[in-house]
Amino acid sequence: MREVPALNESVKVSDIRQGDSLPSVVKHVTQREINLYAEASGDFNPIHIDEAFAAETPLGGTIAHGMLILAYVSEMMTKAFGKSWLEGGKLSIRFKAPAYPQDTITTTGKIDSIDYKEGVPYVNCSLECCNQKGEVVITGGAVVKLQ
Amino acid sequence: MKNQESDSSLVSFEQLPVGYEFPLSSYELSRSVVSKYLEAVGGQQDFLTLGIIPPLAVAACAITALSQSFSVPPGSIHASQDFEFLKLVPIGATISCGGKIAQKLERGRLRLVMLEIHALNQDQERVLAGKATIAIPG
Repeated sequence: MREVPALNESVKVSDIRQGDSLPSVVKHVTQREINLYAEASGDFNPIHIDEAFAAETPLGGTIAHGMLILAYVSEMMTKAFGKSWLEGGKLSIRFKAPAYPQDTITTTGKIDSIDYKEGVPYVNCSLECCNQKGEVVITGGAVVKLQ
Repeated sequence: MKNQESDSSLVSFEQLPVGYEFPLSSYELSRSVVSKYLEAVGGQQDFLTLGIIPPLAVAACAITALSQSFSVPPGSIHASQDFEFLKLVPIGATISCGGKIAQKLERGRLRLVMLEIHALNQDQERVLAGKATIAIPG
């Protein structure tokens, strides 16, 4: 792919090719960031922020909000497609495993195909988030409509 | 996130039938909320410079706003998400969020509730649509 576009810049179909890898994003998850996310989103579910409560559940400890990890996917898509993602993106994912504090999450993706509907290009991408053990945390796909 | 019209009388999700439509709930995404969100996700600070809200911040607050209309047991988690980002949302915007209970399923000891969600800007234009499936422990 070409250089990372600015947030207010759209991507043209001539900038991309089928098979291109998307710019990967690597993040380290901490309890501090999970707590901050709870405050920002208003989601204070104890499974995320109450270590004593979470320790008694089958998960064995606090876990990151799924939407926090999903933000890493959106960051990758924003780096790849700029404004085209922010106002023309579709995301469909499944959470396969929890992400724990101290996990390192690597988000990767690639362009599977480019379809045209009524002359408008739609970019189909596959994506995945894995932890440091290689376990899949999120899997799914995204479609970006290019203007 | 500042929920401006949340309903104080929470009912259990079990009492809400499939097809139940949530009343519109409004929330403001201020610069301080967006700043905290970006710090939490380690996100691009360009959003603050350009005055744009990351679309997943809009989605996260929309889900929270809807979830505040009913109670689920602590320990419930998200199982899957589908989102479509339709329009840029400027920082400071007040978003109205609505939706309905699209489906309820039971899989073993898990109960799944699928919510359909949409968010509107101040001009009543759709900025986001999607589905969120919440897994509730038995």
